[in-house]
Amino acid sequence: MTLRTRVTAVFAVGALLLSAVMALLSYQLVRVSLTEERERAAVRAAYYNASVVRADLAADAPDVAEILRSLETTENRQVLVQRDDVWYSRTADEGQTSAIPSALRDRVRDGEASVQRVRAGGRPLVVVGVPLADGTAFYELDSLAELERTFSTLALVLTAVALLTALAGAALGRYATRSVLRPLTRVAEASEQIAAGQVRTHLDPAAEPDLARLTGSFNRMVDELADRVERDRRFAADVSHELKSPLQTLAAAASVLHRRAASLDERSAAAATLVVEEVDRFGRLVNDLLELARGDRPLERTEVDVEAMAREICRSRGVPPDVVHADAATWFVDRRRVEGILVNLVDNAVKYGGGPVAVRIGDHELVVEDEGPGIRPEDRETVFHRFVRGHTASDRATGSDGTGLGLSLVAAHAAAHGGAASVEDRPEGGALFRVRVP
Amino acid sequence: MPSVLVIEDDDRIRLALLLALEEEGFEADGAGTAEEGLRRQRRSPADVVIVDLMLPGLDGFDAIRELRRTDDVPVLVVSARDATQDIVTALEAGADDYVVKPVPILELVARLRALRRRAAAPASTAAAWTFGELAIRPEAGEVTLADRPVALTRTEFRLLCELAENAGRVLSRRQLLQQVWEYEIGDERLVDVHVGRLRQKIEPDPRRPRHLVTVRGMGYKLSG
Repeated sequence: MTLRTRVTAVFAVGALLLSAVMALLSYQLVRVSLTEERERAAVRAAYYNASVVRADLAADAPDVAEILRSLETTENRQVLVQRDDVWYSRTADEGQTSAIPSALRDRVRDGEASVQRVRAGGRPLVVVGVPLADGTAFYELDSLAELERTFSTLALVLTAVALLTALAGAALGRYATRSVLRPLTRVAEASEQIAAGQVRTHLDPAAEPDLARLTGSFNRMVDELADRVERDRRFAADVSHELKSPLQTLAAAASVLHRRAASLDERSAAAATLVVEEVDRFGRLVNDLLELARGDRPLERTEVDVEAMAREICRSRGVPPDVVHADAATWFVDRRRVEGILVNLVDNAVKYGGGPVAVRIGDHELVVEDEGPGIRPEDRETVFHRFVRGHTASDRATGSDGTGLGLSLVAAHAAAHGGAASVEDRPEGGALFRVRVP
Repeated sequence: MPSVLVIEDDDRIRLALLLALEEEGFEADGAGTAEEGLRRQRRSPADVVIVDLMLPGLDGFDAIRELRRTDDVPVLVVSARDATQDIVTALEAGADDYVVKPVPILELVARLRALRRRAAAPASTAAAWTFGELAIRPEAGEVTLADRPVALTRTEFRLLCELAENAGRVLSRRQLLQQVWEYEIGDERLVDVHVGRLRQKIEPDPRRPRHLVTVRGMGYKLSG
C-alpha cells in the first residue's frame, strides 16, 4: 500500500470514528432529554385532566363518558377511567386497556400516581396513572410515535453527516499527503533529470520553505557531485591534452624510424616497428580519451548525410560500400559524434567480426551487423564500458590494436543525443549492434 | 622539392617534424616564434606553412592574419586545441586547413601535398565568369568586384571557381570538400568558414548574400 493510500485511509477512518462517536452521543442526549420533556408534559396534562375528572365525578350521578368527552384530548392522547371495574373511554378501543401494564394498575390501585413508558402494538406510549376517590383510576396514554419518527430522522441525518465527515477526512488525507509528498515528488523528478544527464539540476529553495534543509543539502550534494564529475572529466582532458605534444614528437620521430626500417639491422627494425605501432595506438587512445572526456559538451547539430558518411567510412576501411542500406539518409545530428559512432562500429566489426556484412541506416537508428562470434549475453552491457573488451576481443588482445574505448565512445555519443547503444545476436549468426540517435 | 615552414615553439616537436618531413621528401625549415616565422617566410617563401596556435608573443591566429596581409601561401594549422571556436577562428584568420595533434605523419603529409597541389594547379581552365559586378578570371588568378581587385587566398579562389563552374547548381559541403580540399572525409566546418570569408570579400552585403547563397539542408550555390 502506498503512503498516500495509508494516510488517506487513516484520515478517513479517524474522521468516521470521531463523527460516529459525536453522532451517537448527541443522538442519545437529544433522545433522553426530548423523551423526558415529553414525559413531563404528559404527566402535567394527565394531572390537569385527572383534576378535572375528579371534580366532575364529585357531582351527583356523573356521566363518566360525558366527562371524558369534555376533556381536551388529541389523537395522540387517550384518556381512560376505571370505575367500579368498568372502563370508560372516548373510543371503543379494547387494546387501550391492555396497554396499561398491570404493575402500574396495582400501584394506582394502592393510591400511588405512576408513570411508565411502554410499547403497545409496536407503538411507544407514556402511561400516566392517577388514583381518584373511591377506587376510581384515571389513566392517560400519550403516544410517542411522533417523537420516535423525529428520532429516526435525526439518526438518519447524523449517520449521513458521519459518512460525509469520513469522506471529507479521506479527501483531507489525500490533499495533505499530496502537499506533503509534493516536495518529495520534486526531489524524485530532479533525481531523474540528474540521472538523465542534467547533472546540475537544482531544487528551488523558495518553493518549499519548510523543507529548506532538504533542499539545501540536496542542492549541495548535486553541486558536490557535479563538481567531482567535472574535476574527473577535466583531469582526463588535461592529462590527454598534455600527452598530445609529446605524442606528436613521438609520432614524427617514429615515422622517421619507420622510413628507415630497411636500413636498420633486424633487431632494431623489429623494435622500431613496435615503437611505430604503439605510438600510433597511443595516439588513438589519447584521442578516444579526449572524446570521452568531451562527452557532455553541447551537441552541434547540423544536417548530416549519414548514408554518404557511412559509405565513405566503409570505403576508407576496405569494406565494400554496398553493405550500407539507407532508408533515411539525412539526419539532424552532431556530425562529429555520429561519425565517431560509425567509425567505431565499423572498426569493431572489422577487428572482431570479420568485417561488417550490413550497415543499416533507419529512422534515427544505426544497425551494424557482422558474422563474427557475437557477444555473449553476460557481456552485452559491459562491452560498452570503458576498457572492457568482449571475450573474443580479449582472446585476441595480443594481436589487437584497439584502445578498449571504441564501444564506450559509441555509447557516449548515442547518450549525448539522448539515445542508446545495444548489442544483440544477429539471427543468421554474429553480432548486431543497434544505436539509436534521436 | 616542396618546401615547408614549421612555426612551432616546442623545440622537440619542431625538430621531430622537421626530421619526419625531410624524410618524406620536403625541404623543411623551422621557426620557434611567429615573428621569426614571418621573417623567414618574407625572406625565402616556403610552399606551405605549418602553424601551431599557442606561441609565445604573437600567437598563431595573429601569425596567420599577419601572413595573410601579403601572402596567399597555403597555411595548415597543427594544434593541440580542438574546440570548434579555435578551429573556426583559425580558419577565419585565413588558415586553409586544420589538424589536431597528435597527427600521424602520413596524414600530415597527405594534407600538405593536397594543399600544395591545389596551390600549384590552375583552379579552372575556363576563361572568365561574371556575376553582376563580380568578375572571375581563373587563368590570371584574378577576381574583381566593381572593377576593384579582390585578394583571395588560393583555397578561397578554388572554392569560388568550383562554385562558379557549377553556377546555378547547389553543391553540398561534401562535394566542396572533395573538389576543393580533396578530402574524402573531412570537417564540414572548413567549408562553412571559407564560404563565410569568401562572402566578406565578394558580397556587397555579406550578411545578406546575393551571389553566394546557402541552400538549407543542401549546401551552397553561386548565381548572378
